[in-house]
Amino acid sequence: MSSAVQCDGVWKRYGRQPRGIKELLVGRHKADDSRYSREWALRDINFAVERGSAFGIVGHNGTGKSTLLSLLLGTIPPDRGNIRMHGRVASMLELGAGFHPELTGRENIFLYGSILGMSLTEIRNNLDKIIGFSELDGAIDNQIRTYSSGMIARLGFSTIAHTPVDILLIDEVLAVGDSHFQEKCGQYLQDFKARQGTLVIVSHDMEALAEMCDSGICLNMGHVLVQGSISNVLSEYEAVMTMSRREPKQICKE
Amino acid sequence: MNRELKIGINVKHFLELLYLLVQKDLKVRYKSSVLGYLWALANPFAFALVYYVAFKIIMRVQMPNYSVFLLTGMFPWVWFTNSLIQASASFKNNVSLVKKVNLVRAVLPLGSVIHEMVHFCFALPVLCCFIFFTGGILHLSWLWQLPLMVMLQLSMAYPLALILAVANVYVHDVEYIVGIGLSLLFFLTPIVYPVSMIPDTYRHIFEWNPLVALVGSWRSIFLEGNIDFKLINQCITMALIMSFLSIVIYRGGACKLGELL
Repeated sequence: MSSAVQCDGVWKRYGRQPRGIKELLVGRHKADDSRYSREWALRDINFAVERGSAFGIVGHNGTGKSTLLSLLLGTIPPDRGNIRMHGRVASMLELGAGFHPELTGRENIFLYGSILGMSLTEIRNNLDKIIGFSELDGAIDNQIRTYSSGMIARLGFSTIAHTPVDILLIDEVLAVGDSHFQEKCGQYLQDFKARQGTLVIVSHDMEALAEMCDSGICLNMGHVLVQGSISNVLSEYEAVMTMSRREPKQICKE
Repeated sequence: MNRELKIGINVKHFLELLYLLVQKDLKVRYKSSVLGYLWALANPFAFALVYYVAFKIIMRVQMPNYSVFLLTGMFPWVWFTNSLIQASASFKNNVSLVKKVNLVRAVLPLGSVIHEMVHFCFALPVLCCFIFFTGGILHLSWLWQLPLMVMLQLSMAYPLALILAVANVYVHDVEYIVGIGLSLLFFLTPIVYPVSMIPDTYRHIFEWNPLVALVGSWRSIFLEGNIDFKLINQCITMALIMSFLSIVIYRGGACKLGELL
């Protein structure tokens, strides 16, 4: 088995955030010592995801899950370590990143498809399938500012679903549209796995993760708390959650 | 897959994405208006008319054929300014494209510059009509000179746009400074006045301004049908320096954009 995603000893630190010219000149900034500030956003992350399997990432808010996905996608660089992705990657970090409300659904498919890395020919060849999958039928030539948020999400998901990729990164977008469409998306993701596609999923939906994923990782304040088979990870995470509910300080201090 | 093929596919995809982004900007700007794409012609026409009335009829500038002189400087300038203003905010205004998808980020400021270039190209026929009706000559050599100049200006404006767009992510004030800087630069460039009006004592300062050469080359083409090679060389030198700088800055600064936005 070859791994599609490989993450070796990855560390990530966020530098100072940019400031206006005023702060630069005056040189004052507030000391940030809330529980979200720490030296390393992620420390020493190691894992590999096999082709055709799904990998779940769980953890509290602000614990580094989305940072990890951004690193895998390549929109931010790691400070240490190596990340290797074998194959084409598409992100569902935000459905419809780059959609413009004044354009029609059809025009947005072209724009979004290209942003996701499809060529114009690929988009044209898949256009009917994308529209069919989204079930937007007659609304497809309306401007998407007239769409409901569910319709926009459906259009976004359909476009991604027809992008030829090997690895899909998903951030909390398993709940798309109504229950009928959600079922369709779930089915699509299962098929994607069966076609040797690889999934990396960040979610708080424990049931969906247990159903979909094979292995996973639980993060806590940038550390790996536990990793391995998804059932282990989820039960450990739930144990931590109940513990932290009782004593929130303890977990977060570190 | 061999390397050349892969690069070929990437370049093709880059151009397609650029095309779609520019098309989006144009559609968003014109589609919902009553006149639609006619605005792309009506705008420069109204613009030319306003300047004609202001300087020829009200201010009565005593230079022969002043309105053509003015417009041949104004249209390239408007392209230059608008693209820099738009481009410097292009990363900040497209946060989700920078953070949530993996694309070649340099396409965003290029999209802004090309978008304004399209508008400039729409202004060219208007300018030609204006020259014709005020008694100027339309030169056949424009057919190759004008595209050349468009490319030249593009290669001067884009590197600068890229640098400003990256800088604006690090220090948010850049986009405001650009606005102020450009309005200052407008009067430091011989657009509303001829080069000959600059006092000799200050002339050396103007030689540092790359736009003097740019506007000068546009004028020599529009007014005489000639390419002024001395000015063109200055422009090319400037374009090369800016390109080099922009590559260094983009390489150093672009990887951090995702976390700074």
